[in-house]
Amino acid sequence: MKRNRLPLMLMIVLTGVMLVTGCSPLPSASDPAGQTAESGSGYPAKQIEYVVPFAPGGGTDLVARAVAEYLSEEWGQPVVVVNKPGGGGAVAAQYVLKQSARDGYTVMANNVSSTTMMAAGMADPPVKLSDHLFVSRIVEDPIAFTVKADAPWKDFKEFSDWVKKHPEQLTWTSVGPAGTSAFGVAEWLKAIGVDFSKTRMITTKGASDSMPKVAGGHAVLAVHSVAEVYSMAKAGKVKILAVQAEKRSPYFPDVPTAEEQGIKGMSVKWWTGVSMPAGTPAHVVKKWDETIAKMVKDPAFLKKLNNIHVQSSYLNSADFTRFVKEETRSYTRLATETGIRK
Amino acid sequence: METFELLLSGFMQAMTPQNLLMAGIGALVGTFVGVLPGLGPTSAIAILLPLTTVLEPTQAIIMMAGIYYGAMYGGSTTAILLNIPGEVSSVPTCLDGYPLAKKGRGGPALGVAAIASFAAGTLGVIGLVFFAPFLADQALKFGPPEYFALMLLALTVMINLAGNSIVKALIMGVFGYLLSMVGIGPSSGMPRFAYGSNDFTGGFEMISIIIGLFAVTEVLKGIEEKRTAVSFGNIGSIYPSMADLRKSVKPMFQGGLVGFLLGLLPGCSAAVSTFLAYDLQKKTSKHPDQFGKGAMEGVAAPEAANNATSSAGFIPLFALGIPASPPLAVLLAGLMIYGLAPGPVLFEQNPKFVWTVIASMFIGNLMLLVLNLPLVGIWARLTRVPYGILAPVILMLSTIGAYTVRNSLFDVSVALVFGVLGYLLHKYRWPVAPLILCFILGPMLEQSFIQSMAMSAGNPLIFFKRPLSLSIIVLSVALLFLSLNLMRRTKQRVRQETGQQAEIA
Repeated sequence: MKRNRLPLMLMIVLTGVMLVTGCSPLPSASDPAGQTAESGSGYPAKQIEYVVPFAPGGGTDLVARAVAEYLSEEWGQPVVVVNKPGGGGAVAAQYVLKQSARDGYTVMANNVSSTTMMAAGMADPPVKLSDHLFVSRIVEDPIAFTVKADAPWKDFKEFSDWVKKHPEQLTWTSVGPAGTSAFGVAEWLKAIGVDFSKTRMITTKGASDSMPKVAGGHAVLAVHSVAEVYSMAKAGKVKILAVQAEKRSPYFPDVPTAEEQGIKGMSVKWWTGVSMPAGTPAHVVKKWDETIAKMVKDPAFLKKLNNIHVQSSYLNSADFTRFVKEETRSYTRLATETGIRK
Repeated sequence: METFELLLSGFMQAMTPQNLLMAGIGALVGTFVGVLPGLGPTSAIAILLPLTTVLEPTQAIIMMAGIYYGAMYGGSTTAILLNIPGEVSSVPTCLDGYPLAKKGRGGPALGVAAIASFAAGTLGVIGLVFFAPFLADQALKFGPPEYFALMLLALTVMINLAGNSIVKALIMGVFGYLLSMVGIGPSSGMPRFAYGSNDFTGGFEMISIIIGLFAVTEVLKGIEEKRTAVSFGNIGSIYPSMADLRKSVKPMFQGGLVGFLLGLLPGCSAAVSTFLAYDLQKKTSKHPDQFGKGAMEGVAAPEAANNATSSAGFIPLFALGIPASPPLAVLLAGLMIYGLAPGPVLFEQNPKFVWTVIASMFIGNLMLLVLNLPLVGIWARLTRVPYGILAPVILMLSTIGAYTVRNSLFDVSVALVFGVLGYLLHKYRWPVAPLILCFILGPMLEQSFIQSMAMSAGNPLIFFKRPLSLSIIVLSVALLFLSLNLMRRTKQRVRQETGQQAEIA
């Protein structure tokens, strides 16, 4: 008899466990806020996939990882970074913005090149801006005009004067005609009155490919974000002539801005933020935006940004959407004038 | 002398139980991801990046470095025993490793691979210790024209992978090159051969093609042959004989040197250096006709090159902050998260960290050797698993492997399609190695050509005006003729000996 009781006991215990665990979500669903899942308190109820449209290790990826870590802790649900590189961000955008459910459990990191620059550079881009719902901008990073360490120019002004005289000798690196570097160079050349088409672009696979080329004297100029040039500049292989920002970069306080050196009217910067598919419920967007607003004040998060040499630059959903629209307009004008737009 | 002292204190640090444990875990995890096709060090390190929040920087980086060089070890195991390269860079190891395994000499082949990996890996770390800043500077002298010339040099390898028909090899090469062009074009930024599909715009992933052409094809071949086990009979003793070792010493050092030098150049993948090392070995061998049929040298050279490349990759990474390959880019991310930006500053500000990591690499390499020789016995048992069980497991791992590279289902379909294609190619005796070689080289060749043209404003003379690129081009032309000549002689000799048509690769 005793032996027969054991399975029965087990069943009772198991049923009990199942009942208890099965019931546990109930109290939280009827918590004091008294909200149902529809109006927002239920989100997030499960793991969130945070898609990065670029390979691991880059700026967008590093920021996304820092964000994911903060959100996971804050919400008690895992926010998992998934890299889906390819097609300049188009592959991931197709997956998140077009194929995924619009429930806020699949979101993506965006950046300047996968949004405004793509829209400005291509007449028929694979991803339209209207597919994005811009949640928040999180980080920006000024671009740095970088040349070989022993190059003959002592500042940006001298370099600009040289380019004015010898535009055909200027070679600069970029991931492609619609990359951050291309827009940065085009804007600068426009500001100093040099014909963009006289200079030559050397296409590279990105900063890790282009920095050695500038340091080795195979290309004259590299324009990348401060974080991307940081190591080589600190190693003394390249020097930064100017940063493009309102203020000097905290990581290179000795390098003057372009404006300080008399070159005005520049605006190109690298930034990254969060996108969701158009049509995602407003309460999900609000939850993300509010938590991000809180996150950018968190000292531990800011310390992480400091480690990867970028600056926090939060914009809420409305401001971010407006900012993207304006930036697209000005980049499209620039791209049309210079022939970048195809 | 100061370097030596720093290294010694690094060893003291690396020998603490915790650091030893980390190196051990890294080496073990690395070996496993190297064995599994598709799941490479890049995804493994990326998956483990969140651990950086828990671990000390030294421990985390020791572990990640261990995964990186451990994977290079592991890639050879399945290449030799199952003809399935775990990594792209293990493709040349298949060429002679698998025939050796079929002859019942898989054990010694694995042993030689482990010893070659250890020797070259250690050589690479020594280079890192003593010449890092100097070598990093030299690597900067390599500009686009030099890369272009180097890619031409690597292209001449194709002749030696041609098997019995150069025409077939060239057709396969062009096919591989065409495949590599699918996706966003490097200079225009516009999609090519995309036919309006977003998946095609993303291009083909090398790993999924390799998984298809090797792993899936191997399963199909096995089903057709009604195989009962992967390899028949024994794999032999795992410890190579003195004769094997003597034969392997030269290829180890030659391969190690080739791998080390190419590893210094950012963007020059381990796949290129293993192909070149294999080819160099075949050309300088006294009996090139043995290659492709189970020459021990054909295992030692690419395995040495592979590991030397991975160690040398740390030189531009630590000295300049330039990652030479995707897994190193993720490792760099790990360093950045800790606020340890690489560069000479890192050596000055955090000498303890740098030297502990470097010392741990010596220890890690030794651990891998100790770990791998006994593991060989376990791997060997794998080949006796009934094929009816192993085949679905290989297919499942292939599917997972193809998926995890970019988290894309498209890559899985690519692997399956190429599996069927690889089976047909095998059946009609078309060599697949040239396809892979050109798939790897194609984009590098194109990019460096376009870069050179941009540098010279469209003047092709730039390749001949620069001494470095000129010498490499002259060398490639010389090697081309040498290869053609060698191939003719080999064919003749094989015909004399066996009265049959040659089947070299």
